[in-house]
Order: sequence, then C-alpha cells, then structure tokens
Amino acid sequence: MTPLRLLAAALCLAAAAPAATLDDCRTLRRHGRLAGARECFAGLASSSEPSLAAEGEWGLERYQQANDLFRAAVARHPGSAELRVRWGRLLLDRFNPSDASALFEEALQRDPNNADACVGLALVAAAAFDPHAVELARKAVSLDPKLVEARELLASLLLEDGDSAGAAQAADQALAISPDALDALAVHASIDWLKADLLNSIPPSPWIDRLLGINSVYGQGYAVAAHFFVLNRRYAEGIRLYEKAIALDPRLWSAHSQLGINLMRIGRDEEARAQLELSYTNGLRDNETVNSLRLLDSLKSFVTAQDGGASLVLDPKESDLLRPYFALIANRAMRAYEAKYGFKLNSSVRVEVYPNHEDFAVRTTGMPGLGALGVTFGTVVAMDSPSGRPPGQFHWASTLWHEMSHVYVLTETHHLVPRWFTEGLAVYEESIASPGWGDRLAPDDIAAIRGKKLLPVAELDRGFLRPEYPAQVAVSYFEAGQICEFIATRWSYSKLVAMIPPFGQRMATPDVIRTVLGIEPAEFDRRFLSWLSERTAAPVAHFDDWKKGVREMAALLAAHSYDAAIARGLAIRDFYSDYVETDSVYEMLATAYLAKADKPAAIAQLEAYARIGGRSPATLKQLATLEEEAGHPEKAIDALDRLNYIYPEDEDLHRRLGSLYLARADSPSAIREFQALLALHPLDQAGSHYELARALQQAHRSSEARDQVLLALEAAPDFKPAQKLLLELTH
Amino acid sequence: MRAALLISLFAASLRAATFYVTVAGLGGDPDYEKTFRAWAADIDKSLRAADPSAQIATLSGPTATKARLQETLSSLARQCKPDDRLVVMLIGHGSFDGLEYKMNLPGPDLTATDLAAWLNRIPAQRQLIVNMTSSSGASLPALARPGRIVITATRNGNEKNATVFPRYWLDALRDPTADTDKNDALSALEAFRYAQDKTTRFYETEKRLATEHSQLQDSGRGEAVAKPSPESGQGLAASQFTLLARNAGDARSSDPARAALLKRKQDLENRIDALKYRKAALPENEYRSQLAALLVELAKTQAELDK
Repeated sequence: MTPLRLLAAALCLAAAAPAATLDDCRTLRRHGRLAGARECFAGLASSSEPSLAAEGEWGLERYQQANDLFRAAVARHPGSAELRVRWGRLLLDRFNPSDASALFEEALQRDPNNADACVGLALVAAAAFDPHAVELARKAVSLDPKLVEARELLASLLLEDGDSAGAAQAADQALAISPDALDALAVHASIDWLKADLLNSIPPSPWIDRLLGINSVYGQGYAVAAHFFVLNRRYAEGIRLYEKAIALDPRLWSAHSQLGINLMRIGRDEEARAQLELSYTNGLRDNETVNSLRLLDSLKSFVTAQDGGASLVLDPKESDLLRPYFALIANRAMRAYEAKYGFKLNSSVRVEVYPNHEDFAVRTTGMPGLGALGVTFGTVVAMDSPSGRPPGQFHWASTLWHEMSHVYVLTETHHLVPRWFTEGLAVYEESIASPGWGDRLAPDDIAAIRGKKLLPVAELDRGFLRPEYPAQVAVSYFEAGQICEFIATRWSYSKLVAMIPPFGQRMATPDVIRTVLGIEPAEFDRRFLSWLSERTAAPVAHFDDWKKGVREMAALLAAHSYDAAIARGLAIRDFYSDYVETDSVYEMLATAYLAKADKPAAIAQLEAYARIGGRSPATLKQLATLEEEAGHPEKAIDALDRLNYIYPEDEDLHRRLGSLYLARADSPSAIREFQALLALHPLDQAGSHYELARALQQAHRSSEARDQVLLALEAAPDFKPAQKLLLELTH
Repeated sequence: MRAALLISLFAASLRAATFYVTVAGLGGDPDYEKTFRAWAADIDKSLRAADPSAQIATLSGPTATKARLQETLSSLARQCKPDDRLVVMLIGHGSFDGLEYKMNLPGPDLTATDLAAWLNRIPAQRQLIVNMTSSSGASLPALARPGRIVITATRNGNEKNATVFPRYWLDALRDPTADTDKNDALSALEAFRYAQDKTTRFYETEKRLATEHSQLQDSGRGEAVAKPSPESGQGLAASQFTLLARNAGDARSSDPARAALLKRKQDLENRIDALKYRKAALPENEYRSQLAALLVELAKTQAELDK
C-alpha cells in the first residue's frame, strides 16, 4: 500500500470511527472555529498512524512532537513524496527553510510532478525574494490546476512585483476553485487598499467583508495586506494593518513580530520591543525576531544627539568623533533638499549609524532591493558607520546625502513614489553634491549595457524587487541614476523635481513621463539608451582592451619598466576613465612617475583619481603628502578633507589636517580636526591636547586653550612646547 | 661582510653604550623576504638617524644565519660592559612544535634556548629582546630572566600567522608621537604600546580576526602581560629603558644655580607624580587647581634652565 493510500485509509478509518478527518480540522480552522479545530487536531494527535498524529500535533502547535512523528512516518514510508512535503512545510513554518527545501527536493525526486513540493519550493524562494518563486508557483499551477494554494501564492507574488492585474486574475482563479480561499480574498483587498490612503483609517472592503464572513477571526487577511504595504515602504499603513490583524487574532505571533519590526523602522522602539518580546516568548523565534530584539538591545547603549534638524543616534565609542561630521552633512542635506524640492519636513530626521554591519543588516531584513549601506524608513535613516567597513570601501557622506533625498521624496509622496525614481534621484543627487561623491560606472554596468540588459523605465522597479541576475539591483541603481541625469540634462532639473508630486498622486511611471516630460515612455527609453550609449561608448567598446592593458601595465611595473608602463597606462586610461577602484590606472601611473622621480606628473594622475572619486585612504594621503612637498597646502587640505567623508577613523588624517588648517589660520577647522583626533583616544595624549590648545589659542579661546595645555602637561609634564604655551597663556 | 663591519664598530666603543642587533629571517616567499629585509633595513636606518654613533648590527638575507648571529652575540659578550644596554630585534617567521620555539633562518634554525644561552653570556645588565616573529610567544619562557625585558608579537606559540607588529614597531622608532611623555626619549614601553595599539587597530580596521596579541615581561618573573601596569607588576623596567634618545639633555650640572634649578625641577616632577597618584582621592577641582599650579612652576623652572 502506498503511503498516500495508507494516509487515506487512516483518514477513512478515522471517519468510520466516526472521528474527524484532517480536512475536517482544516475546514474548522479555515472557518475560524478555533476551539473546534483544536479539539479536532487533538483527535488526530492520538492516532496510531504517525503521519496523521504529526498533523494533529502540528495543529496543536506542538511542533517538536510533530517533527518527531513526521520523521517516524518518513522512516516508515521512505518512498513517500507527500510525507516529505508535509514535513518540509512544518519545517518551513518553524523557520528552517534550508531543511524544508531539501525535503521538497527529495519529494520531487520521488515524484517529479508533485505540485505541493513545487509550492513548498516557491514559498522558500518567495521568502528570499528569489525570482524563481513565480516560476515555481506557475509550475505548481500547471501540475495541478486545482491547487488553490498555488494560485493564491502566485497572486501574492505577482502583487509583490506590482502586477495588480495578474494578481487579481490569479486570485479570481483560486476563488473559482474554492470560494473560501481566504488569502485570495486578502490579495484582492490588498489590491484595492494599495490604491487608497490608509494613514487615517482602513477603508471598507467587500473582499474583507467576504473574508470575515467565512472566518471572523482571520487576522492573517490583514497581515497579508500589511506585507504589501511594507514592501511598498508604506510603513505607517502597514503598521495599521498589522494592528488590525492582531486585534482579530491576538495569537497571530508573526503579525506581532512584523508589527514590532516596522515600529522599530519608524523609531517607535519601546512599542517595537513589546511586540517582539511578545512574539518571542510565544515561540516565534525566527531570525528576524531574534535579530531585531538584539538590535534593540544594542540601541539602548547608543547616544542620541540633536543637531539642528537631525537627531543622531551613534555608538558611544564613536559618537564624539562622528557627531560633528554627520551633523554637518545631515543639516547641509536638509537645507539643500528643502530648497531644491520646495518641501519642508514636519519633524527632525533620525539618523542611526551602526559600526557593526550586522546590526545595520537587521534593518533591511525582509526588504528586497534596499541599499547595502543605508536605508530610509520615512524620517528614519539607518546606515553603516564608516568604521563598519574596511577603509575606502564606502563614502559615508555620499550615502547619507542619498538617504536624505529619500527622506524628502518618500515623505512628500507618502511613500507612493516608485522605487526606481526615488533611488535614481538619490543617486543623481549624490553625483552633483560634491566632486568625487556618488557612484561611478562599474564593470557590471558595462556588462549590462553590452548585454542589453537595461530595463524599460516603466519596468525598472522589477530590477530592484526581484532581480534576475546577481548584479541587477546594483545595475538598476546605476540605470535609475542615469535616467534622472538624462532628464536633468535633456529637460531640466526642475522637470525632474516636477515628477515628484504626480508620483505622490498615485500616477504611474508611464503617465508621469507623458505628463511631465511630454513624451511616450517607449520614445523616452529609446532616447535614453541613445544618450547613455553615447556617453559610455568608450568603456563599452574598449572594456576588454582596457582589462588586458591593466594586466600588462601591472606586469611592466613589477618588472620596473616604468617608461613602458607609463606608455601603456596613458594609452588605456581613458578607455575606462571612471575606474578608480583597486589598482586603478591612475595609481599605477603615479607609481611609475614617482619611480622616475617625476612628482608633478604623479600628482596630476592622483588629482584626477581624487576628482573622479578615488577613495583609497592610502592613495589620498599619498597625494596630500606630494601636494605638501610641492608647496600646495590648499590642495593637500583638499585631498585629506575628502577622507573625512570616507574614513574619519584615522589619527594621522586629523593630525595632519589640523596642522594644515592651523598653518593657514583656519582655527575653527583646526579645532574640529584636533577634537576628532582626541575622540580617537590616541596614545599621544600630550601631543594631541597640545595641538588642540594651539588651535584654541589661535581662535582666541584662551581659557579653553589653557585647559587643553594643562591636559597635555598632565600626560607629559616635561613637554617643552606645551610648557612654553602654558606660560604664554598664564601670562 | 656587513655584519663584520658593524661588529668592528662595536669594538670601537669604549664608553657605556647601547648595542642594537636586528635579525631578519627567511621569508619563505619573495614578498615576505622583501618585507622582512625592508623592515630590518628601515630599523637600521632609523637607529642611525637618531644616533649616528649608535652601535648597530643588522643581519638579513643570506648573512642572517644562526652562526653569524652567534658570532655577533659572542663578540658582544666580549665587549659589553655591565652598564651597557643591549637591544635585540627579531623579524621573520617563527614556529613552535609544542616543545621548542624556532626562528626560520638560512641554514639551521635558531632556537629560543640557543638565543637565551648566548644572551646570558653578555654582561650588559639591561637587555631588551623584541621577538616579533610568528609564534614568538613561545620563546618567552626561555628568554625571561631578571634584568631582561622580553617583548613578543604573539601571546603563545599557537599564533602562527605572519605578524604585522614589526611594521608598527618600526613606525614607533620613526614617529615622534610614539614618545608619549615628550621627554625626547622613546622608552621600550612607549614603543611597545605604540606598536600594540597600531596592530590592534590594523585588525579592527581591516575587519580581520586578530591573529597576534603582543605581550611584555620585564620583571623576570610572572606571566607576560598584554597591558603592562603597576597592578600587573610588569612595565616598570620597560618604562625606564630608553630605546632611542633624541636630544637627551644632561640631568647633572656643576653650576650651583643650575643644579638648584635641576633639583627644583626634579622636586616638582615628584610632586606632580604624587598628585596624579592621589587623583582619585581628591575632588576634581582641587586636583586640577593643584596640578595647574605645579605645572606652571615646572614650566617656569624649565624656562629658567633653558635660558
């Protein structure tokens, strides 16, 4: 007897007995008769057939027992695909997608046409925002057209991708098979609600009325809708829906957890903690919940400082160092965007800065396509600290500038702006904020242009949400940024800004393009690609030559053939002039010129490197040294000051920059730099306090200068220059 | 040849002096070979820049053999006086097999036991041994003895990865900020703290798991420590051992007026030390006020001395 038949027989026996069947239990639960469902599952749990008992235990939320029973059932029926699928679903339910996935795969090995196994794999993929999820759900539908769950899942996935029509159609098909397909009803309600404003109240929905008519306590219906709002970064509305879900079903721990995570995203930490702890203590211990609670613990020790319109939340170990620089950029960005976008925020912006990248990563959990360095939730910005990454890997000020653009655009549009536009505008804003800021053309972008993988503007959001190749999210940022630059160049910056309000009025991208730019989207795409093709012609055409040339140049340098290396470098440099990452042609040319003692030529290469956006601290410091030696202190200051916005955790940087500022009598800047030096707790306390004292003396802040020089002498009583300064200040 | 020439320099010295011996071992691959040689050469250069008359032997490349090192140290055993000071710095790859520490040199390797035996024959009563190789922590038991400061780049023999500590030890010799008490002399303790701090920051900055943890032992007894302090009982001798002097002045004078000023200066320094020792027991304002007064007096005294 096959296991399926065995299970059926067991169910028939149970029916004959006249005990309830698994379907009876599920029906009771689906209809919200929870007490009856529990009683029903308790009956199953007492079955002598392990597979049936496992379902009973699972229904009673006794997961360990259910797991043990499924293991026993699979051992008894090793050829069963069905049992593996059910066991896998239990594991997926209990936050173990990798083992669940393995069981679904095993099931498909035994039964390649098992639609339930495909649904299982689709669910695993969906949780990871894997583009294969849709494909797997479609496969399940084709294998078993009457499988309601597969159609409901497909509906949900299509709505995640922004395909409302497809989602509605899939939901309708599910409802045609089963009128009480609750999640299909919830998808329909979500489609309607996404077009509405839920900030003040949740509008009535016939779909939800129908859902509640079937199951009056089905809170999951609201949780389904909340998920779509969060994916669309409409956190406040998502929160409202999660609250409604919990009101209907207080034991819906996943909704408590998601409510907590989203409350945390908008800075309501205490309420977030209460929800997360509630779900945790009730057994919901998935990574999202546990990591979010850990993050809240970390945040407890953070220092909050209000600087102008920015509320900076900083790790105490680096708050003294970072605060002045972050306050400067945050407030400068707020002033700039207020003027550019003609929009004023009603509240201050909370900027959380995480030295531990894992803490920051918790902020983006469950959210596809968000920045790897910073993320914005309304007026809350969370980002990596410069100390969270190896030096030179990212430009924190550029990242903050980017996120601040989101704050304004998301707030102004009530989070209705499409992902491509807000990201594209933010990327473009970075590039025009200051020389060397923003992203440069990357090899993946070149590959995407060559492979004709750029998406039409109307479909660009897909590149962020469900990337089809590993680099597509990054390429989509690039493309979106280029589109915004194209608009600003071919039309005007004011046209770019004029696109914001229509997005806030729920106008779709094609309509905004038509209305604001007066052009059909297809024609826009054609002109954009032509413009992009022109400006990327050299790297696209010569990328392979450039790569080969770089290798040859490195070999020539290693062989000390400096003239040949210079000739090769100059021949290929402008094939791909944007490349200022590791072993850039600029740096190699500078090395070769220095080997030939041609410092002016080396300086010229490194200046170009810095101007384009080279971020290696060692290289920028080398440039500063060369500029100083060449008698160009202002240029040395420029080179070093760039590093403040890349990697300020560097004693030598602040010491040198402070001295240069002091020499040109810019005492406020010198004071800032020496204060930064002291914030790094240098071993040379005496020297650092002394330098700060000199800067304060130059600023005629004698009393503070005396305090500092006394601190210097406390560390080193015989420090002669400090003694001399003390006497000057004492007199 | 280079080593022999430098040994002859040792022979020319007739007064109490500091002798420096730097050894760069085998790199194993061209990159390490180049790096080790460059560090040793730069140490040599820094020592000579600080004191052109310094007595320095630097063994690297093919000359850095066990026999040549033994020869160098034997020469010192004959020439050194008890008042002299000896600084030995080892750069390269070390290993520990559970029983014996070895440094990788061309030809036979150097063991910690060999090195200790040769050092014990040198009469210099103040010795600083800075073993910056991988696994160098395992050499400490053999090398430790009263009157000898031992610094190792690793805390035991199990830290086997190549070390970055020597890069920052070299920086300490060149960077004026390493002289944290600003007395124009770099003590062994200052150099150790500088190199240790930079090494720690290197691993933190690069987001790498630290594979070396330097330590110091200068009492000849007890455990080596990462953070020398009065509480740990380590660090006093290292703080008094001048590794490198820059413009060191004479603390003695036959001029009675100057001698009085020097005595007053010493007295003020002692009072400042005593006050700092009592800092925790005093109200902040009182401490600051007393300290300021003493520091002003000290500055005035120094100004008088400098006239």
